[in-house]
Amino acid sequence: MTLLIFIVALLAAMAIGTPVAFSLMFCSLVLMFHLDMFDTQIVAQQMVTGANTFTLLAIPFFLLAGELMNAGGLSRRIIDFALACVGHIRGGLGIVAILAAVIMASLSGSAAADSAALAAILIPMMREAGYNVPRAAGLMAAGGVIAPVLPPSLAFIIFGVAANVSISKLFMAGIAPGLMMAIALLITWLILCGKMDVKPLPRADMKTRLRASGRAAWALGMPVIILGGIRFGIVTPTEAAVVAAVYALFVGVCVYRELKLKDLYHVLLKAAKTTSVVMFLVAAALVTAWLITAADIPGELGELISPLIERPKLLMFTIMVLVLIIGTALDLAPTILILTPVLMPVVMQAGIDPIYFGVMFVMNTCISLLTPPVGVVLNVVSGVAKVPLGKVIWGVAPFLFAQIFVMFLLVLFPQLVMVPLGWLY
Amino acid sequence: MKALQDLFYRLLGFLLVFALAAMCVMVFGNVVLRYGFNQSLVVSEEMARFFFVWMTFVGAVLTFRENAHIGIETLVQRLSRKGRLVCMFMANIVVMVCGAVFAMGAWEQHDINATMFAPVTGLSLAWVYGIGMFTGAGVFLIALGRVWDVVTGKVTEEEIARFAGEYHNEEIMDAVREVSK
Amino acid sequence: DFKTRNIRLSNGLAPDHPVADGVKAFNACLSEKSGGKTKITAYWSGSLGDDIQAVQALRSGVQEAVIPSSSPLVGLVPALGVFDLPFLFESEAQADAVLDGEFGEFINKKFEEVGIINLAYWENGFRQVSNSKHPVTKWEDMEGLKIRVMQNNIFLDTFQNMGANASPMAFSEIFSALETKAIDAQENPYVTIDTSKFYEVQKYVSATNHAYTPFLVLFSKRIFDRYSPEEQAALRECAQVGGAKQREVQRDLSVRSLAAIKAAGLEVNELSTEEKQRMREKAQVVYDKHTPTIGADVVARVQESIRASREAAK
Ligand code: NA
Ligand code: NA
Repeated sequence: MTLLIFIVALLAAMAIGTPVAFSLMFCSLVLMFHLDMFDTQIVAQQMVTGANTFTLLAIPFFLLAGELMNAGGLSRRIIDFALACVGHIRGGLGIVAILAAVIMASLSGSAAADSAALAAILIPMMREAGYNVPRAAGLMAAGGVIAPVLPPSLAFIIFGVAANVSISKLFMAGIAPGLMMAIALLITWLILCGKMDVKPLPRADMKTRLRASGRAAWALGMPVIILGGIRFGIVTPTEAAVVAAVYALFVGVCVYRELKLKDLYHVLLKAAKTTSVVMFLVAAALVTAWLITAADIPGELGELISPLIERPKLLMFTIMVLVLIIGTALDLAPTILILTPVLMPVVMQAGIDPIYFGVMFVMNTCISLLTPPVGVVLNVVSGVAKVPLGKVIWGVAPFLFAQIFVMFLLVLFPQLVMVPLGWLY
Repeated sequence: MKALQDLFYRLLGFLLVFALAAMCVMVFGNVVLRYGFNQSLVVSEEMARFFFVWMTFVGAVLTFRENAHIGIETLVQRLSRKGRLVCMFMANIVVMVCGAVFAMGAWEQHDINATMFAPVTGLSLAWVYGIGMFTGAGVFLIALGRVWDVVTGKVTEEEIARFAGEYHNEEIMDAVREVSK
Repeated sequence: DFKTRNIRLSNGLAPDHPVADGVKAFNACLSEKSGGKTKITAYWSGSLGDDIQAVQALRSGVQEAVIPSSSPLVGLVPALGVFDLPFLFESEAQADAVLDGEFGEFINKKFEEVGIINLAYWENGFRQVSNSKHPVTKWEDMEGLKIRVMQNNIFLDTFQNMGANASPMAFSEIFSALETKAIDAQENPYVTIDTSKFYEVQKYVSATNHAYTPFLVLFSKRIFDRYSPEEQAALRECAQVGGAKQREVQRDLSVRSLAAIKAAGLEVNELSTEEKQRMREKAQVVYDKHTPTIGADVVARVQESIRASREAAK
């Protein structure tokens, strides 16, 4: 009953266009009335406490690093580098997109920004070369959503804080699945582009390649700093994020000289605004989470699915299908924030490894960025590539299915996540 | 009046930038201190967190004014102008309720926070949790203004379009311009 | 006169910590006294928020109970800093005598002034230093060790005073920080060193017994005042019943944890009586520095109580 009231209140508020954060606050108020524990102090206290967490400081720092990366010319050099390396292969521009997506994903955590950067530079070239444009746009969208699975990732930070799981470990666990998503895209692309009549780019000579590599080297150094720093315990994830931001600033200002100090104000302002949008949502969700826990909704849900507790794989499968369905209407951050407190107790009870669950859950919510009707990345790519939304949806479909396939493969074989994690951590 | 408002929000923007820059300096400074000088500044962890709170909740008002909070406009987009107005009215009432509760809660809790002190800096937590009064009141007033505009028919077409999320990708387009310049 | 009550009790510990045995006994006792009307719902591992947050919720009457350790609450009740002072108690029996006696009552009064009822003192255990570098048997051995401590000024000063490089860090990051050698050392009770598997990434443990910070069983005064006298009495009594059980399980487990740590191959070092005395003397500067914030009367009182319990033990 409580579960139902919670869902209806939330959906009703969101349907009329209330921002998700306020919808969450509103459904908290409704829950408090229902539980006969209305107290404005619950809202005031939990909201601020949610933001008063040192670990979450990684969010503004990684966002800032991402902004600096774009403004400082790092993103463009990564794409140039990928062009020089694999541009000449048949279907090469698509492979460039996938390679660049993987590199950019290991620098930033934002799917929307990565897809936008990829689409802005590559779509015009692909249109020119005669590629099927909606298909190409679909690839950019699907490539972008690798970003939150490969570290660093805002999604893992939010999940780690909400579920009380080590963020460093989540980061390491995301590497193998992220690469598998990329491989799945690559295979799908190679199959599809066989049917397209395109002219390949001329093969870049060694000199061009070396020059592009040299220019990109500074940008390519960033994932080494972030992952190495975290893996070897030199820095915490939060500190890695600030180091990444300072590094991107240094490269943008001193090496590439594209970032003028006067632009810095706008970059900081943009990162700060995006942070407050994300964090206000996190804060509002933590009020709801507190009430969900206090009202023992996980217990209610646990009873519903108790027959599955004994069969973790089936439980995992059910949860993944459920999240996929919820993900059609909700985007990444809200899904993670709303569902984590509900699902975690059930998952723990079933004896599923919380790191494994976290990776699968985050991967699922990333995929949901590609599912209509609500899929932010679809909208972004449609806007940037100037392809109607309906065509982008058609274009992304095969890649979407490839990624869903990878996800269910990992449900069947958890070792595919856990064994590589053992090598890395 | 409009000029005064713009100045106020510009000031808020400046505060955000200052807070973010200060957080970077404190956290990065601590990494440098640890590896460069085998020391750590204990105050910086706590202060950085407090700046983070202020940035989040000051920014929440600024971004609400700019319609930048994440919302799901799929349904609203399909409605007629009249339907959109009704939704805009109701959604802003919801926001007003939330803002009022947030501000009132922070007010009620003031004494409890004023007598709890942060372990390292010794700062009263009223400074941190009191921000709820600012944010709650801020979004309440902005939403009230929108409700007023809807009721009196003064609401502009641009405002309605913004509510329906039709200007959503401005930030992204900014990023794109930067990448492709 | 008992009404149907659901007491929400939160804490940051795992549900297999000895505190859970205490809560179980606490709950059973309440259930018996109330004819099944009063019931405790426990929330483990910080699922209902951290301890400070819960304490604030208690003060506003939003939540009934929480079991935190004393250290994070010095910002609310500065007198609690007394338990962070290095080498204060010498034995568990002595700590029991002081906490369950007149000094414990004195601290309880301070809690009432800020809207909280402290029902009982439970045991967190003496804290010990473990590290991966070398055996620590004397003051000088702490020199230069990179040690994680709780975010608490007295702890920081205690270890900085020893010449260690003390830095605060979230509990959840300790294991990987030790593993990757980002830090050399940490300090926690044996039970924690065992249950958090720190023995996998440490080589030496020293029985420093440098601090004894008790667990507190806190209840919202706003809610408490609404209860009938019978209910209030039952809460107080049952918290003690739970405490007796918790201390028993905790002490038993502490012995077993120490054995497990040894079995894992760690070298366990004892400090000589003279060295302990020397450390206590050298730590005097920390006492001097923090006595004004804790309250001179508080420090004097606890030392008086300790002296009295030492006399009584003879
Ligand atoms: Na990433
Ligand atoms: Na979706």
